[in-house]
Order: sequence, then structure tokens, then C-alpha cells
Amino acid sequence: MQIKVSKEYLTELLSRQERVDQRGFFDYRSISIKTNTIPNAEGSASVYIGNTYVLAGVKLDVGTPMPDKPDEGVLVTSAELLPLASVEYEEGPPSPEAVEFARVVDRGIRAAEVIDTESLFIEENKVWNVYLDIYVLNYDGNLFDAGTLASVAALLTTRMPRLEGEQVIRTGDLPRLKTKGIVASTTFAKIGNAILLDPTGLEESFMNARLTIATDDEYIHAMQKGLAGYFTRQEIEKLIDTSFEKSKMLRSLISKAVSGD
Amino acid sequence: MQKPELIKDGKRLDGRDFEELRPLKIVAGIIKNATGSAYLEWGNNKVLAAVYGPKEVLPKHLADPEKAIVKCRYAMAPFSSLEEHGRAGPNRRATEISKVTKEVFENLIMLEKFPSTEIDIFIEILQSDGGTRSAGITAAGVALADSGIPIRDIPFAVAGGKIGDKLAIDFNKIEDNYSDADIPIAISPNLDRVLLLQMDGKMTKEEFSRYLDMVERVSKQIISAQKNALLEKYKVNG
Amino acid sequence: MVEIVLPGSKITSGIIKADGTYIENDSTYASVVGIFDEEKRHFIPLEGLWYPKEGDRVVGTIVTRRISAYVVDLNSPYKGIIMTKFEHSRLEEGDIIEATVREFKEFDDAMVVVLTRPKRLFGGVLLNIKPTKVPRVIGKGNTMIDQITQATKCSIIVGLNGTVWLKGGDINLATEAIKTIELQAHVSGLTDKIKNMLEKKGK
Repeated sequence: MQIKVSKEYLTELLSRQERVDQRGFFDYRSISIKTNTIPNAEGSASVYIGNTYVLAGVKLDVGTPMPDKPDEGVLVTSAELLPLASVEYEEGPPSPEAVEFARVVDRGIRAAEVIDTESLFIEENKVWNVYLDIYVLNYDGNLFDAGTLASVAALLTTRMPRLEGEQVIRTGDLPRLKTKGIVASTTFAKIGNAILLDPTGLEESFMNARLTIATDDEYIHAMQKGLAGYFTRQEIEKLIDTSFEKSKMLRSLISKAVSGD
Repeated sequence: MQKPELIKDGKRLDGRDFEELRPLKIVAGIIKNATGSAYLEWGNNKVLAAVYGPKEVLPKHLADPEKAIVKCRYAMAPFSSLEEHGRAGPNRRATEISKVTKEVFENLIMLEKFPSTEIDIFIEILQSDGGTRSAGITAAGVALADSGIPIRDIPFAVAGGKIGDKLAIDFNKIEDNYSDADIPIAISPNLDRVLLLQMDGKMTKEEFSRYLDMVERVSKQIISAQKNALLEKYKVNG
Repeated sequence: MVEIVLPGSKITSGIIKADGTYIENDSTYASVVGIFDEEKRHFIPLEGLWYPKEGDRVVGTIVTRRISAYVVDLNSPYKGIIMTKFEHSRLEEGDIIEATVREFKEFDDAMVVVLTRPKRLFGGVLLNIKPTKVPRVIGKGNTMIDQITQATKCSIIVGLNGTVWLKGGDINLATEAIKTIELQAHVSGLTDKIKNMLEKKGK
């Protein structure tokens, strides 16, 4: 069953501090994180936030470093809004939405130094490339938070392949990829004057502005404001506080999922 | 690379008998946005199939006033194999598989009931270990039944062939790579129609005929996994 | 005996005419998942799509306004159109309407559902359910829908295209009841089950 609401109904609900799915404004839907769902990949995790369903897969290959960082490995993040995930998604080169999605997730992970990129150095002009692919399998809003959760959980459980001569050994007893930080993003949608955490697809269809904030215990690591609407300074400062609080909960979900792996 | 030994002590490398399928499990209705969907695990293969439609044809000039058109995408995730990171985007192999898969379903969907519309079938191989096109068709058959789009039958598919002088069914990746003959086949069981047949390698007519007998014998297990997936949806607790 | 049949399965020798079946070699086969009641020789599809028929009452949303017609989304592969020439209501993009199917025909290189007597529905919520479940949501002689309306004080209009409009009263409870019916349409004793649910959870 799909539900659609009229603008009038939604406005009336929000003015009573209610949401269509009866959540509080700053509540997440139920979240599930499963790691190592694709054992062929070096790392993987599937995440549900409500009906939003994403999968992150990690592969490592030998490559060359970026010229400005000759002794560090390279993270390459891509996102696919698969046509199987929504009627709105079409086959073809990545849409601007998919590119923004991948870049926002990538930025949080880089800034929080989730991967210890120096540990990926092999020898001069030879480093490990980390390919992080985010697959959207069912769209129901808030891809950024689901994508970040899946990516971080996948990276934290990634097996580090080793080299035997030119051959990459990907199976057997392997250590984990060296990681440092853990980050989680929190996404807010603004509809009229109401601000909601973890918007559903239905809510996103009515939102006029979106704000994503990625944090750990101490720092804000990435932010992205989207769409034509606006936030005031007061709103943003308040949402940063909320983000720190919710990020703690999200990161503990990641830790739980990762420790079971 | 040297061809590895695929048979040891009369068994296959993963310990299976020649006529033994890998474990097969299917769940219907897993993608909420789709008209119909299925998730399938077959050995180490992990496959998602989803059906959308019938819907408006885009671009419009492709519309057929007599019947619905079918579009099919078979694609492999870049992290799906045990080897290096796969290149994104369609390649020649995926394009061919998409085409022959589409043709399987064009035969079975009652396209004439939905003139000037389009039905999309999406098959995403999340993890691959040989026989992914067969796994994709078997999953998409369940996704179509789940969708309510009228079909004449639910097809199943399986791939196998010849290892040395032995016939074997349901090849995994390594068998697929080094077998002496490889035959994916899709069949509409109730109508007894062969809807996909590909082959490469070396095989006599007699061997091929014995191979088809083998397919028929193992088909019951595949069909029952498909049925269970669909019936599971209607089980009600309490 | 009543059993669930899957597409491609032979329902019975001989010919039964029902939605979701086809005839081959003088036997009837299922083309969608459904239930076959052997005693009554009756097939009820559990999955399936809506085929527009003259006189069908539908619920939809105005997508655009063209010079001579409004285009209506009917949760179907086919768009509805309302010819402005014959209808005097003033409608706008996004408006929810209830209307009756006048005909299903080819128009401008596409199949369209020509609608008549549109009535605007103000505000509220739309649910898209499987069209095959609509008869169950309405119930024999409206029993099911009447009991939901009474218990929830919701105004409910059920379109044969599977789109349901709800307004006022306890929308959440009405939605839950309809969702349960959609999932359990094949279960017997559903009217009582829904009755209990409404009594237990009603305010």
C-alpha cells in the first residue's frame, strides 16, 4: 500500500506537531544494519531505514596515488540510484542527485578520517584504491543517512587483501582495513516552517529545504544544504545540537552491527 | 592459467553430486516500491529482481498500440565478484543477457492485455558465483507472479553442462569458467516450452539429450522454491 | 476445497471465465495468483491490475491542464482525461477528484480513460491499494466499508482503480484497517477480524 497526502492534510498535521507515520519530529524510523551481506566484496553492509534500503560494497585494488598525496591510498565513492529502487529512477549516467549523494557521503567519511589512508601505501607510486559503491535498492527518503551508515559499517568490516607478487589475495585469514574515525550523518527536511528528522519519500516530495550534518563525538565533519528553500542561523545551530545527539545513537548502532561481524 | 581439476573422488569441488543443486532460497515482495519483486540466493549468488508497470511508454514513439513492450536490464554490481572491482555501466555481456532474458518474458507475459504500455524488468546481481543469468530469470519469474501482471507461466532457468566426460547441473563460477560445455536453459514448465537456450563447448547429441533429462529431474526443486516464495506471502499469523 | 493457485497452474479441466485466467486446450489456467474454490468453481484473483470499464467509479489526481482536457493520474498505466468542453468544474493541478469512466479508447496515439462527472475532493489522504482487493475493502453490500466508516468517523471513497480517499476522523485507524484487509483479503472471517480491531483500537 502506498500513501499520498494532500498539501492541506500535511500542513494541518504538521501544525499539530504530528507526522503521517505518527513519529515525533526528531525521531528516526526503525533502523537495521547488517554487515558482510555480500561476502564476495571485501566489505559490505545493508541498511534499512524504514522502507529505504541501501547496500554498500567495498572492493580494494592496486592503483596509483593522487599526485598531491603520493603516500596515501585513494577512496573512490560512487552511488547508483538503481532503476529497480523507484519509478523515478532511470538507467543511464549518474544523475546530479546520485552525484550529490555520493559526494556528501564521501565527504563525511574523508573528513572524519574513517579510513587510515596512509596504511594503504604499498611502495612508491603504488597504493591501494578503495572502491566504495552505494546501491540504492528501495527509495523511501533519507538516502544520505542510510548511505553513510551502510558505507561506514562496510568500511569498518572490510578485509584488507594482501599482495603476493602481482597477485591480489582476497580470501583466507586477512586483517581488517585500518580505520580511525566513525561518523554518522543526520538529515533534516523543512516543510513550510516545520523541520523533520529522517524524512520519508512522501515528506521529501513536499520539502522545500534539506540539511545534512555529519558528526562524531567532537566535530562536525560535513554539511550539505539542498533545494531552493532556506534555514535560519538559529535553526541550523539547533539542528547541529540535535545532530550530535542523534549521531551518538547512530554510531552506537554501527558499533553494534560491526562487533557482531 | 592452467585448468584446475574440477572433479575429485567422484565429487565436484564443492562436494556436490553431479545432479545436485546448490541451496536455493527465494523471497517475494522485498522491494516495496516495485509492482513485484523477488530476492534470490542460489549458492553464493545473490540476486534482486523487480518489475515495474505496466506504465506509460517512454520515449513515446516506442509504444505499440497492439501490446505492451518489455524492457529488461540485467546488471552486475561492481562489488559482486571475488575478483577486482567491476567497471560500472553496461557491457556487451550484460547487453546480450538483458536481450535474451527480455525474450523469455515477452513469450509469457500477456502483453496484448496492455496495449501502448511498457513493463520493466530489472535484475541486479549483487553477488555472483556462476549461473547468474539463470538465477536472474528464476527470480524475475517470481517477481512477475508477485506483480499481478498476467503471465502464462512462471519460468525457471538453470545452467550446467559437461565437465570432462561427466554431465553436471548448476555450475558454480569455477565450473562455468573451465567446463567443457556450458548450457543455460530457461523453461516454461507448465507449457513445456524452451524459452532460452545457449550453449558453448563440445557435446554430442546424446549427451545433450541426457542433459535435458537432468534439467527436467532437478526442475522440481527450482519450481518448488519459486512456489514457496509466493505462497509465503499469503501466510497469516494469528 | 479452496486453494491458492499460481500463474501457469491448471485450475480445472473445462472452461471457467474469470479475470486472471486463460484457456488452453479446453482447460483453464491461472495467469495471476488467485484462489480457486473447487465446489463453487469460482476463481478469485489475489493479484492483478485494473482494467478500465465503462461506469467504473475511480479516484485520481489532476496532473496537468491542457487546452481541451485535464489529465488525471489514476494509479494505472493509462492516464485519465476530462474534456473541459463537457465538464464545467474548475480544476487545478494536484486536485483530487472522484469521477466515472465513460470510455476507454485510443486518443492522440495512446490509450486513455475518458472520465465524466468529476467531483473535487478537498484535502485528505490517498491510499493506493491493489485493485483486486477493492471488493474486499467494500465488502458484501458495503458491510466492510460501513463498519470502518462508523468506527473511525472517516469519510471514505474507494475507487475501483485501487485509489482510496480518506478524510476526517481517525485516519490512522482507517488506514490500518484497509492495510490489513489488503494483506489478508484471502482469509475467511475477515469482517469479524476487522470489527475486533476497530473496537480494540478505536477511541
